[in-house]
Amino acid sequence: MKLRIDAELCEGHGRCWDLLPELVDADDHGHGFLIDPDASVPPELERKALEAVRACPECAITVE
Amino acid sequence: MDGGPMYAGGDKSALAYERSACPMDYFAKLRAANTTKTEEFPGLVVLSNRSDVEGALRDWETFTSAFGGINGQDEPLIPLNVDPPEHVKYRRLLDPYFAPKKMASLQPAVDKHTNDLIDQFIDKGACDFSEDIAVPLPCSTFLSLFGLPLSEFDQFIKWKDYLLRAEAFTSSSEEADALRRQTAVDVCTLMATEAYARRAAPKDDLITYLVESEIDGRKLTDSEIVRTCMLFFTAGLDTVTVSLECIFAYLIAQPEARKMLAEEPGSEINLVEELLRSETPVQMVSREATHDLVLSNGESVKAGDKVMIAIASANLDPNGLEGADTIDVRRGDMRNFAFGGGPHRCLGSNLARMELRTVVRRWHDRIPEYSLAPGEKVIWNSSVLRGVDHLPLVWAK
Repeated sequence: MKLRIDAELCEGHGRCWDLLPELVDADDHGHGFLIDPDASVPPELERKALEAVRACPECAITVE
Repeated sequence: MDGGPMYAGGDKSALAYERSACPMDYFAKLRAANTTKTEEFPGLVVLSNRSDVEGALRDWETFTSAFGGINGQDEPLIPLNVDPPEHVKYRRLLDPYFAPKKMASLQPAVDKHTNDLIDQFIDKGACDFSEDIAVPLPCSTFLSLFGLPLSEFDQFIKWKDYLLRAEAFTSSSEEADALRRQTAVDVCTLMATEAYARRAAPKDDLITYLVESEIDGRKLTDSEIVRTCMLFFTAGLDTVTVSLECIFAYLIAQPEARKMLAEEPGSEINLVEELLRSETPVQMVSREATHDLVLSNGESVKAGDKVMIAIASANLDPNGLEGADTIDVRRGDMRNFAFGGGPHRCLGSNLARMELRTVVRRWHDRIPEYSLAPGEKVIWNSSVLRGVDHLPLVWAK
């Protein structure tokens, strides 16, 4: 499982870095970015990753 | 936030009360009726289903926010009443000031304000949650953010009420309008005076940040600074107040949720998120149609029509999000528009969340069990901001 954040769709709601700080950080404007965009989601974080995906109001973070 | 028909009297009050008392039922009925025309908001287009609301929040070109000012202001507030591309410039400037890391640095002050407020009544075994916490806490936060002395507190509360509830202090809509306008002048005068003072003597506060900031290689004008401060004043106080009221009005009827909060530090994070969604303290946001269009239900909207986007309804709409018509305070993964969406997503959302989480955590650390005072009822007030004027609580001393 890999995550992707569409910066065009992101409006900085901040749910992804709030729910998944292990993999997502916030930039100076509060927009989420993947700490390692190429990394796979470790199995133990898959459940949390899916929560972050479901929580995004703009559907900007998705599973690839 | 809107200065529109929020404070209707007579029969409309009854409708507003019905909406505030049980938004779940009210909005389910509204969505089932499949119309944008409501008794409560005659002449306005009310969007209530999930897909219309999500679409309208994102489609700022069709549903503009640039329709002038709100709350006694003729001029557009910044960045609320400005659309892209100008809007983007203001947000680039302001977003960093309200970014999560910045808000984390303000958290100790909010924690202290919360503890100080609780200190004042904890030994009495009773308080009015609205008057003693929900109203003062965001006001103290605002004063900290703006580098203003706590001695301004009473004045600020009065101004806020005059701006947002002018009808309660006057006997005609003309008088209410005059009071709102006079108060807007008073607040703007204070902000302009403070901005002038910060140019000479900078401090570590938001006004100084605005005074020193630039867009397009130029400093902000006095008008821009005042209109930005004015937005924070109208948007930052009552919204957090009503959010706290919604959360605690929910909790007094939910012993399991209270137990969870008392026993599990950190559980307030998902609880706050789920209740922002299901209670949606800011029930609607305003837009104006820029061109004629036909909605998904076949109704037509004309250019210039005033549009109310009922985010409270969309948040509860199970069509497109299974389970949205139920509440589970342990989950934090239900996407919602409690802070709006699209480019106008609430600038202060990180601040609001931090304040709400801090109060809920600190309260339950210190007062884990409490109830509504005997003989009292929860009476919702009638505005698009869903709150209560009083919430008398008691606990064992």
